[in-house]
Amino acid sequence: MPDRVFTELQRDALQEIANLGMGQAATRLSGLLNAFIELSVPRVRVVAVSEAAQALREMTGIDGPVTAVRQGFRSEIKGEALVICRSGEIAELGALIGGPYAQSTRDALTEQELVFDVANVLSGACVSSMLDQLGRLPVFSQPGLLGGAIMLDEVFQPGMLAWDLALLVEVNFALEDQRFRAHLVMLMAEESIHHVSRAIDALLHSL
Amino acid sequence: MSPRDLPASPSTPSAPLPLSLSDLVVERVGFGLFVLDRDMNVLMWNRFMQDHSGVAAADVIGRPVFERFPDLPRAWLTRKVESVFQLGSFAFSSWEQRPYLFRFDHDRPITGGVDYMQQDCTFMPLMQDREVIAVCVTLSDVTHVSIMQREREDAVARLREYADRDGLTGIANRRYFEGRLADEFARWQRYGGEMSVLLFDLDHFKKINDEFGHVVGDTVLRAMAQRVAQVVRKQDVFGRFGGEEFALLLPCTPLDDALHVAEKIRHTIGDAPVEVQGVVVPVTASVGAAAARPGASDYEVMINEADAALYSAKRQGRNRCVALIHEPS
Repeated sequence: MPDRVFTELQRDALQEIANLGMGQAATRLSGLLNAFIELSVPRVRVVAVSEAAQALREMTGIDGPVTAVRQGFRSEIKGEALVICRSGEIAELGALIGGPYAQSTRDALTEQELVFDVANVLSGACVSSMLDQLGRLPVFSQPGLLGGAIMLDEVFQPGMLAWDLALLVEVNFALEDQRFRAHLVMLMAEESIHHVSRAIDALLHSL
Repeated sequence: MSPRDLPASPSTPSAPLPLSLSDLVVERVGFGLFVLDRDMNVLMWNRFMQDHSGVAAADVIGRPVFERFPDLPRAWLTRKVESVFQLGSFAFSSWEQRPYLFRFDHDRPITGGVDYMQQDCTFMPLMQDREVIAVCVTLSDVTHVSIMQREREDAVARLREYADRDGLTGIANRRYFEGRLADEFARWQRYGGEMSVLLFDLDHFKKINDEFGHVVGDTVLRAMAQRVAQVVRKQDVFGRFGGEEFALLLPCTPLDDALHVAEKIRHTIGDAPVEVQGVVVPVTASVGAAAARPGASDYEVMINEADAALYSAKRQGRNRCVALIHEPS
């Protein structure tokens, strides 16, 4: 397993950082949406490129086609955030942002704009909060559609990638009592993994 | 003036305030930059915004942005800014979903074909001590990108059109025809009903080519395709199958009705000769018809049956229509 990248202490710390970060994200999202958003316990894994798609399938529990919106984030630690849901359920993504937040919008939103909006809010909250724990302030790029109905294998193009290892952090969202879940995955490649590792060490030393 | 000569940020407020390098950059940079507080008051407004809106910084700073720009999508913009304050994260707006935020002119008023400057906007949190103190909005002019994208979409649509058409006659080509036939057959398999296919062929076409030359032969093909195209129904698919052979797909049409259509086509082709470069060329056609019937595994069975009927029409002396009738088993 490529999990040798982190020591056991670092791994525990990273899991704790993810827990804290996503907790903060949930609080901020609930504040913004005025609704209780249920966030899963984040899952953290280091995988080789060849296993990345399989890891995504396991983490999301999705085997079929997905709709995926991607967004880059950049600081010393950089990577991409993906918001993923089953293709047929994309319309329900908007429901996550129902309630007063949506009602305040008298201007009609196209479905695509709504999808990008929701994806941006979810990844913005989670990535910012997570990197905040690591003492980094990221800059984001425009969200873009990776595909409306793609297989998770198509997310990674192994031949094209300039890295061997990736750090995946997965968390999923649902409104209370709702079956529909949207997944957020942060992907960070090798170079960033070293920066994460150093940031964890700095954090551990400061305790 | 070298950067060294620039005074450090001013410690005492004395007018006029010397500008820092970053102030100068913000002033002259080629995209819009403005800053909003949580109540949507403008805190900063750069030259790009001033030049394009006609509203000077002094006239908008310290006031709600909607006061000078009542056309802005108020609820939407307020929500975007509020989300940045609450999440401490970025927000975006793309021209592809929302063509513009401000009604600005662009520099292709004649050749552009778009009404206002197409804009990509980024809403960026300005942080101090881990708190969002204001939101900086950057506005990029992406008019040229939108024009290029539209041109590309047009080109793709034209290519798709070319890819589906037969170059000589302008009607559907065989690839497109078979695609539609496959779709229609699949629909018939699922929902039942009726569907038929006609295959027809200009009689003794080789002789026309030999006698009058290929230019005349091609003109005859074009003229015949045009005549037939005028009598087929809108829902039918008319294509060139190859050489002098044509095909007509008739959805929701039983074999009897297909034979009526076949007769109509035969008359359309044969009733009047074609005149090419002063030469009068008489043309007739033979038509084979077949209908989808239970048990057929795919659409090729229909094509083969129509082809057998066409062959039979040729053998019976040409210039006639023949349908392949199956005895009910």
